[in-house]
Amino acid sequence: MPALDPLTIGGQTFTSRLLLGTGKFHDFHVMREALEASGTQIVTVAIRRVELNAPGHAGLLDALDLGRYQLLPNTAGCRTAEEAVRVAQLARAATGVNWVKLEVIPDARWLLPDPVGTLRAAETLVGEGFTVLPYVQPDAVLARALERAGCATVMPLASPIGSGRGLRTGELLRTVLDGASVPIVVDAGLGVPSDAAQALEAGADAVLVNTAIAEARDPVGMAHAFALGVQAGRAAFLAGRMAEREGASPSSPVAGVPRLPDPEVPLAERG
Amino acid sequence: MQVNGQPHPHREGLTLHALLRELNVQPERVAVAVGDDFYPGARVPDRPLEDHDTVEIVRIIGGG
Repeated sequence: MPALDPLTIGGQTFTSRLLLGTGKFHDFHVMREALEASGTQIVTVAIRRVELNAPGHAGLLDALDLGRYQLLPNTAGCRTAEEAVRVAQLARAATGVNWVKLEVIPDARWLLPDPVGTLRAAETLVGEGFTVLPYVQPDAVLARALERAGCATVMPLASPIGSGRGLRTGELLRTVLDGASVPIVVDAGLGVPSDAAQALEAGADAVLVNTAIAEARDPVGMAHAFALGVQAGRAAFLAGRMAEREGASPSSPVAGVPRLPDPEVPLAERG
Repeated sequence: MQVNGQPHPHREGLTLHALLRELNVQPERVAVAVGDDFYPGARVPDRPLEDHDTVEIVRIIGGG
């Protein structure tokens, strides 16, 4: 398969357009194998309080080959801009990485992001030197505002986080993609590789997947399948899709078909 | 004093290093904030802690 065009985020260049989350895996071994099979180069992690007086559990950072992956700490669980800014600062201290997947999510049922809080937190974090990748609803006006604020990407959702319902926001995604000046990473809700392919075919620059891989019967096999879906989608986008038309259009020439006499036409009238 | 959202007894002369030892936390695996000061685990200073301080000790886990 020919190499695809590289993706540049925050001044760094990547050959993979598949970002992976590290949540929900059964164990670190499966997670590592899935990361490997996906070919990903950017992986998200979360920040949580340590359980005091409960030492001994192996840390995620010990399980990751940090030389291979750009870490992308998230602010998952933060309900306000202030919480998200604080968690980003803790994440930077914990990882030494100034990238942050910004999530400001006040709504526990649908996990929908707060656009106002996200923009406010993004402005603060960009000002403090972070490379900010905000998670948002596919809102083109908000996306442009986040670009102007200096965000490195915009990451619109496909459907609710962890739902596996696929790209339900395709029409809105088109408006976010139209005129975007930073990479658009479709994040959340993708369930199968064809969902990823669909996003890339539409012109999204990358996708971020976690649950669809971690909760597959075979996470390593699904990670590989997503890598193929992403490659197919990007290759198709670059190749340029055909124009859609309302009706059918024969693929074979209509002239010169060796026809039998048409039984509907009387013998006397046949040529 | 608050540590990870819970009240924690403060004593005169308590330092950050002593607190981490007390809590059985290996500093190199964590990040620590005292108020608005953020420290990578490997570079946590042995600063004195005050009764009104808010301490956060966090680590990296899997997430999406």
